[in-house]
Amino acid sequence: MPRSSFILRRLGRSVFTIWFAVTVTFLLLRLLPGDPALAVASPNMTDEARAALLTQYGLDKPLIVQYGLYLAQLIQGNFGVSFTQSVPVMDVLLQRLPWTLLLTVTALVLTTAIGIPLGVLAASKKGRFLDKIVQVIGVTGQSIFVPSIGVLLLFVFGLTLRWLPIGGAYDTDAYGLDWYGSVASHLVLPAVSLMLIQLGSYVLTMRSTLIEALGEDYVTLAKANGLPYRRILWKHALRNALLPTTTLIGLQLGFLVGGAVLTETVFAYPGIGRGIYEAVTQLDFPVLQGAFLLLAITVVVANMLTDIVYGFLDPRVKTS
Amino acid sequence: MRQRILVTAALAASVALTLSACAPSAPPASTSTASAGSDTLTIATTTDVVNYNPLIGNSRSDYWITNLMYPHLLSIADDGKKEPALATDWGYVDATTGFYEIRDDLTWSDGEPVTAEDVAWTMNAVKKDAPSGTFYGQLGNFESATAVSDTRVEVKLTQADSSIIEEIGFWGNVVPKHVFEKAASVADFPNDGSDGGWVGAGPFTLTKVQVGQSYELDRVEDYPMVEGGTPIPAKVVYRVFPDVNTEILALQSGEVDVIANALPPAQVDQLKNSSGIEVEEVVGLGYAHMTYNMQNPDLAKLEVRQALAHAVDYDAIRTVVLQGQAVSTGSSPLMPVLSDYYDDSLTEYEFDTDKARSLMEEAGYTADSSGNFPVSFRLIYSLQDSVTSQWAQLVKDSAAKAGITIELQGTERNTYLAQTNAGDFDIYAGNFAIMDDPVTNFTLAYLPGGAINYTYVDDPALNELIAQGAVTSDTDEKIQIMRDAAKIVHDNVYDNIMYTQNLYFAHSDKWDGFITKPSELLSIVNPESLASAHKAE
Amino acid sequence: MTSLEFDPAATVGMTTPAEPVATENERAGLATWRAFRTEPLGLISLGILALLVVVAIAAPLLAPYPASYGTDVLKPPSLDYLFGTDSLGRDVLGEVIWGTQQSLLVAVSASVIAIAFGTLVAVLGAYFRKLDGFISVIVDLTLSLPVLPLMILIAALIGPSTGTIIGVVAAFSWPEVTRLVRSQALTVVNLPYVDAARLMTTSPLWIISKHIVPAVTPVIVVSVVVTASRAVLSAAGLAFLGLGDPTTWSWGRILYEAQQSGAMSSAWWLTLFPSIAILLLVLSATLLSIAYNDARNPRNRAR
Repeated sequence: MPRSSFILRRLGRSVFTIWFAVTVTFLLLRLLPGDPALAVASPNMTDEARAALLTQYGLDKPLIVQYGLYLAQLIQGNFGVSFTQSVPVMDVLLQRLPWTLLLTVTALVLTTAIGIPLGVLAASKKGRFLDKIVQVIGVTGQSIFVPSIGVLLLFVFGLTLRWLPIGGAYDTDAYGLDWYGSVASHLVLPAVSLMLIQLGSYVLTMRSTLIEALGEDYVTLAKANGLPYRRILWKHALRNALLPTTTLIGLQLGFLVGGAVLTETVFAYPGIGRGIYEAVTQLDFPVLQGAFLLLAITVVVANMLTDIVYGFLDPRVKTS
Repeated sequence: MRQRILVTAALAASVALTLSACAPSAPPASTSTASAGSDTLTIATTTDVVNYNPLIGNSRSDYWITNLMYPHLLSIADDGKKEPALATDWGYVDATTGFYEIRDDLTWSDGEPVTAEDVAWTMNAVKKDAPSGTFYGQLGNFESATAVSDTRVEVKLTQADSSIIEEIGFWGNVVPKHVFEKAASVADFPNDGSDGGWVGAGPFTLTKVQVGQSYELDRVEDYPMVEGGTPIPAKVVYRVFPDVNTEILALQSGEVDVIANALPPAQVDQLKNSSGIEVEEVVGLGYAHMTYNMQNPDLAKLEVRQALAHAVDYDAIRTVVLQGQAVSTGSSPLMPVLSDYYDDSLTEYEFDTDKARSLMEEAGYTADSSGNFPVSFRLIYSLQDSVTSQWAQLVKDSAAKAGITIELQGTERNTYLAQTNAGDFDIYAGNFAIMDDPVTNFTLAYLPGGAINYTYVDDPALNELIAQGAVTSDTDEKIQIMRDAAKIVHDNVYDNIMYTQNLYFAHSDKWDGFITKPSELLSIVNPESLASAHKAE
Repeated sequence: MTSLEFDPAATVGMTTPAEPVATENERAGLATWRAFRTEPLGLISLGILALLVVVAIAAPLLAPYPASYGTDVLKPPSLDYLFGTDSLGRDVLGEVIWGTQQSLLVAVSASVIAIAFGTLVAVLGAYFRKLDGFISVIVDLTLSLPVLPLMILIAALIGPSTGTIIGVVAAFSWPEVTRLVRSQALTVVNLPYVDAARLMTTSPLWIISKHIVPAVTPVIVVSVVVTASRAVLSAAGLAFLGLGDPTTWSWGRILYEAQQSGAMSSAWWLTLFPSIAILLLVLSATLLSIAYNDARNPRNRAR
């Protein structure tokens, strides 16, 4: 297939994915019960005033008209104005986005750095005691209820030992280099907590694909040729086994951005997930639509990154 | 393998780059005066500010933070009486004209004086643009306001209303005309400081915001409404902790100095006994109640409402759910805190399931073999209201003992509001934070078409009394009229007021000098209190 | 596919490469069981799951339904109250026991719905190749939606109840099942014996039920366990955000009420016991599916 048409198809699929997410959100918000004017107005507001609010929000128009206007707006790069905050939606979201990305990427780096070696260890000791231990640790991590471990971590490291701060993303009175230090120290607990619950996926994926790879003919061949086991493991089998893990990283990067609501809640971290939760409680349609759009874009970008990494890793993709 | 590390490193680097632009540089060295300190007072809240425009914002955090910048004409005492704030004197010129005299020594943080013109302009703009905050709801009988001098505002009313001047004075903020008039409408002016920062006239002004994390306010050096003329803390920082457990941990670790939200009842004793933490009591000015929807033919019968009212174990609710931190109002909408109005001849509906049963029989219902009457009522409440969520279960269980089935329907706040607004319930359970003025509240709660008339009551005798109360300016006469009205409400179970909750607020013992005001809105985070707070010796 | 905080073990199934198809089901099943028997982790997990099911069914025999209030408020575990009491003086042991019922109900119902629907779609897609393109596009698109935020949105708008939670979890779990089953079903459809069947009968239903469904059953078994444990975490997470059923006891509700009363750090027993219950269920379900996978794969067995 010519390269340009491949890229075009990829691009088309990305736009389609984003359109789908946007449309699903748009329809859900309008077809499910919920009156934003009630959510915004104080209880002593008259019915007329509330009706006026709905008109101001454009919610009095027929659904199809609203949808058309919304898409037209999006194409012009206009994401609308928040119902409750009266400011452009992107102003609201972009304040939170960098923190979400920082937390997400840190957690992913931590998880891969720990998860992949553990998975390799488990696979190479398959069926032995060490394998079981690694499995149990990994699976225990992802079976934990986030807020429980969150409060425990805060209690131990924040209150009892006082090693780490409680809540927030940085100290408001830190400047210059100190500021970076405070960003880092605030990041530790939420990132570790996210790492714990993800670790299992990486360990198990790595383990099962590596076991699979170690059974392949070329590994048997390499063994027969007298290559040392460690070398086969790390050089040959691992390279292939990394592919599904890469897929996993790509998927999680996309989903972590909006999916860490509980972590952000417990650790008071200013992320997108918590922002979405708050917008839901305020029925702030434009912010929700903007947030889901942003998440869809993240997923698409993460998928593209995955493809690029795939190109590096998979010899078949490279040569074709 | 190496490639993976490269990609990871590239990702990390790109994030680092994004953030590197954010590192703030240190502010110029503080130029604080000698008497005032250089300390930062950090306050925890559970929600973000939704809207910085005090005429729009409805959430607690909105109120707390904008209240530090946009003065109110009047403040409130523990018994619900209004006290001078920006206004030094207020009242009526005649039945349809009110007035406020305001201080002449306040300035906006950009140097402009605070004048009667700001006050009048704010009121007129709110009336015209109908922003969604509480202020607009107070302007029912308001026609227009005029600044007759730099310090005097006169308010024209559409009809006689003896409560409106105090209600507008207490609920309404004053905003700087020269900033807000640039917007086409105050109803969608975000006031987010994007146009050269915030302009306020309180003890502190917002300077820096990190959404989802913190709101920083700097001291206004010249603030005549606090002793000494300068607020003591150099900075007030509100920090967002969505989870109350994290909030408490942060207070215990010294990360924050004050928790602005009222403590959950079960935590009060716990924190009173914690070292390093002080707990302040604040009187409540509102009430929690249940109303019985009279559009339901069963509930339209007085005996059925009475039966339900007698099937609630009020004592258990106050002792267990509220841990004894609530007082009975004698089942009257005139709570004991409104000491002038309170009428101790009204007593609480007695918890007596036998009486409830006989009332049901009087109403013409017959219990089946298992003792249950052929009725079932749907009680709605908001899940975000944890205290109500807890006692709703007790209400259901005690009613069951009287043979009356109650089906609980706790929902997310927005669904609850929609149901409430549509009258889609049999029994409504909820609470109001501040019910400071009986006439205003009775008008909203018991007149047909009133915004919070959840009973759908339309009783001519009651309507007449409320109308009289609204135009009566003699205080003693007004009190008597409202007591008569309250008796009608009580005897007909038009409303079932269950208690006034007293609130408790925690702060670090490193800080002292807070001034408590009633309700969660003012508590120890009112402007006067924060301006006077100082490090303990 | 992943919503992270709510997502245990989704990858257990996902990464299982296309399996050798078990053509002789009975013998293969026996072999799997023989291999499984030697896996202590799998056996322990099976035991724990069985225990939880027993607790759920026998709840009325084990503890009275938690009363609306009690007089001993926030008492730590003691002989009177093995798991302590909560901020309304209710017995936490009773809450956990009765909570097992609802938590298992959500888990089982959500996964049954998701799997029935997901399998149906997958098998149809695999058999009727014209549908397949469309189905895989829908699956891919649905999998790319941000699951957790959407769950929050829908649960908040529709209103919290056990039914809502089951529906929401099922609605976002089926595409995963479809994808898993589809890849397995495709390998079966192209096998000679299915082609032969196509020649012999005109009834797709017969072929699907006789040949395709049995072949994908092992994959479904794994899916059940994975989806069910995901449902438990999802339900607890939604409940914790105040979107759970407020009138039925569930593990999530105990945690939510502990959070609301600000007691999570001071009254550790309120958090510990329901968290352990969740942990046990999800952990044993996941380990069980791993053990089953290992046991089923002849290549693994051979080693």
